[in-house]
Amino acid sequence: MESVYAQYVWAVPMVPLLAFLVLTLARCVVKGSAAFIGVGSSLIACVLSILILLERLMANTDVYTVNVEWLSFGTVHFELGYELTNLNALMLVIVTVVSTLVNLYAKGYMADDERQTVFFAYIGLFTFSMLGLVISPNLLQLYVFWELVGVCSFLLIGFWYERPAARAAAKKAFIMTRIGDVGLLIAILILFWQMPNHALDFQSIAQVFASVDTMSQFGISAGLATWIASLIFLGAIGKSGQFPLHTWLPDAMEGPTPISALIHAATMVAAGVYLVARTFDIFQVSQTAMFIVASVGGFTAIFAATIAVAQRDMKRILAYSTVSQLGYMMLALGLGAVTAGIFHLFTHAFFKALLFLGAGSVIHAVHTQHIFKINGRARHMKITAWTFAIGALALSGVPPLSGFWSKDAILSVAWESNKLLFVIGVVTAFLTAFYMSRLFFIVFTRTKRVHTESVDSPIHESPAVMTIPLVVLAILAVVAGFVYTPFYSGFETWLTGVAASDHTNVIVIIVSTLVALSGIGLGYFIYGPNGVREDQWSSVIKPLYYLVERKYYVDELYKLFAVYPLKVLGKVLDVFDRYIIDGLVRYTASCTVQFGKLFTRMQNGQLQSYGLLSVCGFSALLLLLLLLGKGLW
Amino acid sequence: MFDLSFVWNGHSILFLILAVCVISGAVFMLNFSKIIHMVVSLAFTFVGLAGVYVLLEAEFVAAVQILVYAGAISILMIFGIMMTKHDELEESPRIQWKGVFAALGCVALFVAIFFAIRSTSFPTAPATGPLAEDNTLELGKQIFTAHVIPFELLSVLLTVAFIGAIVVAKHEDAEESEAVSSPSQKEAE
Amino acid sequence: MSSMLASYLTLAAILFCIGLYGVLTKRSAVIVLLSIELMLNAVNLNLIAFSKYGVVPSLKGQVFSLFNIAIAAAEVAVGIAILIALYRNRGTTNVDEFNELRN
Repeated sequence: MESVYAQYVWAVPMVPLLAFLVLTLARCVVKGSAAFIGVGSSLIACVLSILILLERLMANTDVYTVNVEWLSFGTVHFELGYELTNLNALMLVIVTVVSTLVNLYAKGYMADDERQTVFFAYIGLFTFSMLGLVISPNLLQLYVFWELVGVCSFLLIGFWYERPAARAAAKKAFIMTRIGDVGLLIAILILFWQMPNHALDFQSIAQVFASVDTMSQFGISAGLATWIASLIFLGAIGKSGQFPLHTWLPDAMEGPTPISALIHAATMVAAGVYLVARTFDIFQVSQTAMFIVASVGGFTAIFAATIAVAQRDMKRILAYSTVSQLGYMMLALGLGAVTAGIFHLFTHAFFKALLFLGAGSVIHAVHTQHIFKINGRARHMKITAWTFAIGALALSGVPPLSGFWSKDAILSVAWESNKLLFVIGVVTAFLTAFYMSRLFFIVFTRTKRVHTESVDSPIHESPAVMTIPLVVLAILAVVAGFVYTPFYSGFETWLTGVAASDHTNVIVIIVSTLVALSGIGLGYFIYGPNGVREDQWSSVIKPLYYLVERKYYVDELYKLFAVYPLKVLGKVLDVFDRYIIDGLVRYTASCTVQFGKLFTRMQNGQLQSYGLLSVCGFSALLLLLLLLGKGLW
Repeated sequence: MFDLSFVWNGHSILFLILAVCVISGAVFMLNFSKIIHMVVSLAFTFVGLAGVYVLLEAEFVAAVQILVYAGAISILMIFGIMMTKHDELEESPRIQWKGVFAALGCVALFVAIFFAIRSTSFPTAPATGPLAEDNTLELGKQIFTAHVIPFELLSVLLTVAFIGAIVVAKHEDAEESEAVSSPSQKEAE
Repeated sequence: MSSMLASYLTLAAILFCIGLYGVLTKRSAVIVLLSIELMLNAVNLNLIAFSKYGVVPSLKGQVFSLFNIAIAAAEVAVGIAILIALYRNRGTTNVDEFNELRN
């Protein structure tokens, strides 16, 4: 079937780019209509992506690639272009849908902000970069967009740059992800060096790394493949906030909440997962790399989940939850289940965006992020509360919401391949359910013990422009899971092109349901309307509680082992620079100055001195001639 | 290396005496502390130089030398000294680096010139007879025939120089008295 | 006779160097002018010595020295005039206090 919409894939990122350019260049002209431009552009992109996705769902599963030459060095050619696969098409839809809803939501959330135009411009740039990243046909182009989304993330985290915390968070995010980016860059360089014809496009990579045989045929050893895969994964670790580079993501919550929803929950952080899925062929040939991915993912999942249990900042809880869920996706990828990983990415994007936007709605109303200060005051916000509840249930994995299906897909893979990871997954799921119920009950249902607040201003529901995205996302969070249930595996066939069997696993379904429900139950028991006070039970396991609350002291460890030594090194270098390098420079300069001063003193304006100098010079020249024995003439 | 031989005859003895006079006059000029003494010693040098000119069969130039240098220029200098106020002592007591360097430079220059003179062999004159029977007559002939145009130009130059000197010395005076002194003071002066 | 020429030239060189030293070191402008006269005299001595002992002895050297003397007289007259003008303006004739060249 001839593709109709696929050839317009390039237009999908171009619309947000256009919006960005208009908003940036004509800032004064379009000041009042910034939100409309933002929403409109992303809506166009969204419609187009949905059309493309539908087309691909109908029939056409061929990879659609267009390349134009970008740079050419002798026999080496770099190409620019776009590629459309089923994975791409799905990602396009995720990005544009969330982007549209966030744009709409931001119209209400950022209504009072003076720099609204800039905000929407940044979102446009980000959407463009993310879409460009998704449709990149080769690693180099992907890397360019990879960095671009990093820049957008930096700009948007630091959007309220007058806050010191926001500035610090922006810097932290940029530097931490950069550590990972270096790994990705090195991987790209190794690939460029090793690949036949220096090809960097995904199709060539897929061919070369199709199996161990083809790989050795092209002269790439297994060890090298492991290295490449690990370095690519390092990039993914940075971007997706996996342990040990996860610390930037919670801090990134200093940015505006719509941004947290769009970038730091739904799309950009998923780029790491997407990258691993996209270059999955490289990972597949290396058992070591797969093991690394799985173990890092699993560890991050449970690690972040435990931290989330003890946080008191609404957005930080969600941020750690994001880290944990990204770990889940990595776990799935590490176990070879690309479909499960991407499926979780797909469902997670909707319900996590929903949760963030819901949190934003609450924050917008009560002007605090501290859950114990909110303390049930948000219960008057009916739509927010209900949609948030749906999101929380989906995240907790309560059937039949989307989170349940995607989590189930991952857990069933883990059940089959690695029991330890299965246990980790189950524990994480339990913790997830627990902390989500804790969050929900504290924020929305608490009624008693309001002794801390003296001024209880009436809390109103957010405007429709903010609640509509919540409702849409809630619907998506409910239904998105049905594309890939244990009883229907067409999604996997469509996504990977490999015929798949159904993966119905009753034990896993029962276990995960039970775990989710018991987590919620425990949460209700402790934090529900009649629950015990937190400090009562937290005192029981105080040391552990502090450890978790302080996020396992990872930030402090980094400070101790990375920041301080670097600062000391910096000081040493500073001293070296100041006293040795600068000293030399200043010494040279002062020599020149002194020399100049000498001649200034000679130039005292007295005729006799000038005459004396000429006489001395003349005599010296004459004597020199004599001494050299050349004679005087 | 070079010829230092000195022929001892009447001419050369006379030259030696005159040379000692000339050099001593110049050196005293350097060493006297009163300016008026310096001028007088330099006048002595100029007279000695006139003697040397006579030795060189340039009687007219010697006469002019005495008239212009020993007479006119020295008197002019004395007038200059009298019209301007001078410190009584010329030299400051301490040794100045400037003086040391100047001495070094001048000595070096002299050494260079001396080596040049002594290492050059001058061709001897073909005829050793007197230059002219009557020095003044011959000079007059030369000046008013072959060198008449430079002579006339020189007279113009002298006129211009003297008028210029008067203007320079006089103009400032008038301007200053106008600027500084009131009319009544002018009257008093 | 060539040695006599060398003697005259040496005498002239000595006078020239003494004059030069005077020009370079004396503080009084009058003495500086006088030293210049001394240097001019050394030149005149050279001219006259060459007019007698030169390769082609002739009176032209003496004529030239006469012109020289006349010009030196003019120079001294202008020099003294400038000196007086300077004295009127600056109140001194010390050469080391004239540093207008500096600006």
